[in-house]
Amino acid sequence: MAAAAPQPDIAIRNLNALLEVATQMGKVIDLDELLELIVTKTTAVMDAERSSLFCYDPQTHELWSKIAEGLGSGEIRFPAEQGIAGETLATRKIINIPNAYQDSRFNASFDEATGFRTRSVLSAPLITGEGDVAGVVQVLNKTSGEPFSADDEKLLMALGTQAAVALQRAQLFQVQLEQQKTHEALRLAADIQMNMLPRDDEPFLARKNLEVASYLRPAKEVGGDFFDYFLVDDDHLALVIADVSDKGIPAALFMAITKTLIKSVARTGLKPDQILRQVNDDLLQQNEAGMFVTIFLAIVDLNSGEVAYANAGHGHPYQVTTSGEVIKFEAVGGVALGVTDMIDFDAGVALLAPGSFLVAYTDGVNEAMDADDAEYGYERLEALLHKKMADSASLVRAITDDVETFVKQAPQSDDLTVLVYRHR
Amino acid sequence: MSDFPCELSGNVLVVTLVGRLDTNTSPQLEKLLAEKLEADPVKGLVIDFEPTEYISSAGLRVLLMAAKKMKSGGGKLILCAMSEHVQEVFDIAGFTPVFNIEADRALAISAGRA
Repeated sequence: MAAAAPQPDIAIRNLNALLEVATQMGKVIDLDELLELIVTKTTAVMDAERSSLFCYDPQTHELWSKIAEGLGSGEIRFPAEQGIAGETLATRKIINIPNAYQDSRFNASFDEATGFRTRSVLSAPLITGEGDVAGVVQVLNKTSGEPFSADDEKLLMALGTQAAVALQRAQLFQVQLEQQKTHEALRLAADIQMNMLPRDDEPFLARKNLEVASYLRPAKEVGGDFFDYFLVDDDHLALVIADVSDKGIPAALFMAITKTLIKSVARTGLKPDQILRQVNDDLLQQNEAGMFVTIFLAIVDLNSGEVAYANAGHGHPYQVTTSGEVIKFEAVGGVALGVTDMIDFDAGVALLAPGSFLVAYTDGVNEAMDADDAEYGYERLEALLHKKMADSASLVRAITDDVETFVKQAPQSDDLTVLVYRHR
Repeated sequence: MSDFPCELSGNVLVVTLVGRLDTNTSPQLEKLLAEKLEADPVKGLVIDFEPTEYISSAGLRVLLMAAKKMKSGGGKLILCAMSEHVQEVFDIAGFTPVFNIEADRALAISAGRA
């Protein structure tokens, strides 16, 4: 039977319906709302009993549907080759089945599950402006009882194009929304992380026999460096500077655990080498990601200036005397924490004369790089330390300014941290 | 830029680290190693540092994971041909005694077979 030429009134009705649907779809950005709109409008415009919309998921090569009218809510998923929808997707052509039960491609299980009786099926691809197939729309049973006509085919194809564009737009919007959420979560994590650092108005900092200054600037929002200072008892101050491998949320969590462990173990009165050994064993209990952290830990006797320290694979700090002498802290054996169990850390001792600085830093200082990949290096740092500084804060600022001047416009590649203590 | 060419020498996989192994490039190496070892669980894995310019703590972490993975499968990881600069990073982090390190590629491959 040859298809009759479209009746003028039908053509106008179709055009109006299309315009109306296109306008409405243009207003909806929420994906779920849009899916529902497409289904209900398709049923109405096509003068059919039911519609289903299947979206294509290119990552899993599946078709999924949130709403198959009359089936209630919930999502169904199936391989993208399956059934009439699968064939529509693969061939990108409309399929018109006048009698479903006489067609081998028809899957009667939905009818069986719902009690619905499918007579005719019209299945059209949703082709986007770029020519990709975003999914498949299917309409079931014309209310007139007739099979779908050639005009219906054209109308559904046109409707499909509108739906494809709207779908693509909504999905893009959703991706952007999720990115924004991730970004906000990261910013929040960065705030929490910065709040974990000791405050610069801790009451004990007002004591006359000590002076502490610090600086930390993460390279990304959430970094892996941290420092800490706290009183172990009335006469002893703990100084911690550390660098967790890698950055981002996992590094931040590892950092939070490490920082908490160090503080609680240090307060039991152990020596720095014993503290690191115990924290290492604790960290290894659960470290599937292979994270590790380099730490320099010192406990300063605030009266005598004696510094007991241990080093878990961290860059050696410096002692700067009042006469401008720059002395490296003697290297002591130790591996970064989280690497291997049952290791011992060596104990180091140094003596700070009144007025001397202890300068600790992370590799963001010595490995800071300029645009030509030249490193700031230890020599520049040592040269700077020879200059006389008024107090800890000036020294911290001098280091960070010097690094900044050196790297110029090059992007910061690693977290940068400086911790300075001065014995008074 | 970084590039990690791979070569199979008997049952030893040799991966060469060209360029920098830092926060940006380490995930690529981690993925590459996971895929290679998944596809062909070799007895020895050799990492050749001859053309390596720089390694950061993020890079060390990937190597540490690779060493654990090889060990759990009864194999071993051998590092070789480190420049002084790269060696220094291993020394400071205390990693030198933790890893198997050979002077050159040939020695590393024969150690991987043994």
